[in-house]
Amino acid sequence: MSTLTELSTLDVLEAEAVHIIRECAAECERPVLLFSGGKDSIVLAHLATKAFAPAGLPFPLMHVDTGHNFPEVIEYRDWYVNEIDERLIVASVEDSIAQGRVQDETGPRASRNRLQTTTLLDAIAEHQFDACFGGARRDEERARAKERVFSHRDMFGQWDPRNQRPEPWSIYNTKLRKGEHFRVFPLSNWTEIDIWAYIQREGLSLPSIYFAHEREVFTRDGMLMAAADFVERLPGEDTFTETVRFRTVGDATCTACTLSTASTVEQVLAETRESDVSERGASRADDKTSEAAMEDRKRGGYF
Amino acid sequence: MPVESPMLHAVAVGSVDDGKSTLIGRLLYETGHLNADEIAHVEEASRKRGRKFLDLALLTDGLRAEREQGITIDVAYRSFDANGRRILLGDAPGHEQYTRNMVTAAAGADVAILLVDAKNGLTSQTRRHLAICAMLGVEDVIACVNKIDLVDYDEGRFTELADELIAASESVDGPRITAIPLSALEGINITERSDKLGWYSGPTVLEVLHDLDRLIAEEAFRMPVQWVTRHDEGGADVRALAGRITSGTVRVGDEVVALPGGKTSTVSAIDVLGESRDMASAPLSVALHLATDIDVSRGDVIAPVADPPQVATRVKATIAWLDETPLSAPARLEVRQSARLVPAIVEELHERLDLDAMKHEEADALEANDLGIATLMLAQPLAVQPYAVNREMGSLVLVDPGSNRTVGAVMVTEVLDS
Ligand SMILES: Nc1nc2c(ncn2[C@@H]2O[C@H](COP(=O)(O)OP(=O)(O)OP(=O)(O)O)[C@@H](O)[C@H]2O)c(=O)[nH]1
Ligand SMILES: [Mg+2]
Repeated sequence: MSTLTELSTLDVLEAEAVHIIRECAAECERPVLLFSGGKDSIVLAHLATKAFAPAGLPFPLMHVDTGHNFPEVIEYRDWYVNEIDERLIVASVEDSIAQGRVQDETGPRASRNRLQTTTLLDAIAEHQFDACFGGARRDEERARAKERVFSHRDMFGQWDPRNQRPEPWSIYNTKLRKGEHFRVFPLSNWTEIDIWAYIQREGLSLPSIYFAHEREVFTRDGMLMAAADFVERLPGEDTFTETVRFRTVGDATCTACTLSTASTVEQVLAETRESDVSERGASRADDKTSEAAMEDRKRGGYF
Repeated sequence: MPVESPMLHAVAVGSVDDGKSTLIGRLLYETGHLNADEIAHVEEASRKRGRKFLDLALLTDGLRAEREQGITIDVAYRSFDANGRRILLGDAPGHEQYTRNMVTAAAGADVAILLVDAKNGLTSQTRRHLAICAMLGVEDVIACVNKIDLVDYDEGRFTELADELIAASESVDGPRITAIPLSALEGINITERSDKLGWYSGPTVLEVLHDLDRLIAEEAFRMPVQWVTRHDEGGADVRALAGRITSGTVRVGDEVVALPGGKTSTVSAIDVLGESRDMASAPLSVALHLATDIDVSRGDVIAPVADPPQVATRVKATIAWLDETPLSAPARLEVRQSARLVPAIVEELHERLDLDAMKHEEADALEANDLGIATLMLAQPLAVQPYAVNREMGSLVLVDPGSNRTVGAVMVTEVLDS
């Protein structure tokens, strides 16, 4: 006979996330889980499969593909979806460009990060999704720290941070008008360390770029960026080889890597505990442009 | 044996500008929970605003509008580990207009850090937050007399305000109060003491947070069904009831009832996210298998046959009204309780709380941010208990079916005959 075991923080966070996922699946007509192949979305997809096992997921996964990805991540994405035997929708920024919905940026600082919003909102409209699960955490960024678990988006996909619905206890008001949707964040209360500790506990595999590897890089704005065909370099941005890993994966044009020799989950966890730089501070070039860069993007419908 | 919770929910409350965001920034800063890049950001943002000091309120006040106005609009959450326990800290807005966001932050909190400006003293917003904490069942309040630097670190002023706070809490049957003189700006009594307050020998804010016991209450087992799973197992159609245990413990072999229907069965297996167990407790998410195929659907509550909640279509309740449109009876709304949504009528408004006198008075309407007492009639029977007996069974949210807005937070005080 088993006895009551001591609960860990991860047990509580896991139970909370599963509760949120089940609640959304039961209440919303057409949810979708946004899956990038990054560590947070992998944890999210894993929690979702646990929430409904042994049955399959009652919703598909969707990747908003900028076309500027790390190949290792796309490889992992396809492997993972096949492994869990679920359906993946790919919404492509390149298609949005081809259709004239958005215009590709050019030059050395070109990024498709912003363009993703249009592709995402178009896909939501096309598939009539009324809820998108996202792996965002409140510890990531100032604007995210303010967001509800069931975060309302109007018909234009906009977030109104000054007028969020009250959300007392774990009771979620899931009512929507046609054309509106929710962004649902089951990992709201997780930290970067929780994510790694959970990956370790559950034995999850990750794209190889999360672990130390040799890569051709160059320095920009004090950060190490991966050299890639689609990234135009400024004069003086010479490439060199370093042993690095990524703390987050996103569009390769605006995601930086850090020097590291951590090649296992345990070593990454140890490094993360010691780190004096936040995940976004270490990885995101796009947030340095203005104080409220993330809030502005989120208001417009970004992840 | 009660189990210690691995998480403590704390929330900073109190009137506008009394120093909540500064305190939270300071607490994270002094305990080494801010990264170098976050500190650099706050330094730069402080300089841009012409501050001659590190304005730590800018850590959580991250929205454009908040920085423009210098106030908090919506709650920001930060997590940190202290003394082997996770603390989830909410920074609530003090401005009356955003009381709905304060209610969001304080619901489910174990402890509130209530700030009062030593110079200005208690305001009706201080009392409102204290009354809301009392209603929400927050058990402990760390009452901080902040900006003690502005009153020359005066012991007399501290004692005066501490007494007022204790009296205010008593008048609403409120939480236990630990009073601390504080300067969030100078960093006094958050993690470190100071010679300037030589007369104070009590604990710091961090010490109180460390020492708080948070045990998971030993209550009767309850599980609202979120989702009925079905799958084929060797030709047999296997059903399981997925949900989160909101209180108590369930064991294989327990006789349970599904409410409000009333059908009974026996628990034959407990699946804790892929692991089969003999027993499971709150707050785990599980899937229960029953020995017989009884009629159960989403929204039903599974409870022990021996100790079920009541089933009723009328309740008396405390309401925190959160919408700009006032509430007057009768009003047709919808009530959401965990996994259930039922139409409801607010039949009668009994009283509203006058926050200056801290007394209940008769009222025809509840304005935005008012607290009142009302009777609700429900279109369908609900398994329900007083909030003071079982939080999850007694907490409801009011939704306006016209606007879809969340308009009220409800705590059941009495289950009435149907
Ligand atoms: N002198 C002095 N000023 C303080 C102290 N703590 C905070 N302040 C100042 O009081 C003002 C308001 O502080 P905040 O931390 O933003 O107040 P708040 O309670 O978070 O305000 P809202 O969230 O808008 O309700 C700021 O200018 C702070 O610098 C203190 O201990 N002493
Ligand atoms: Mg504030």
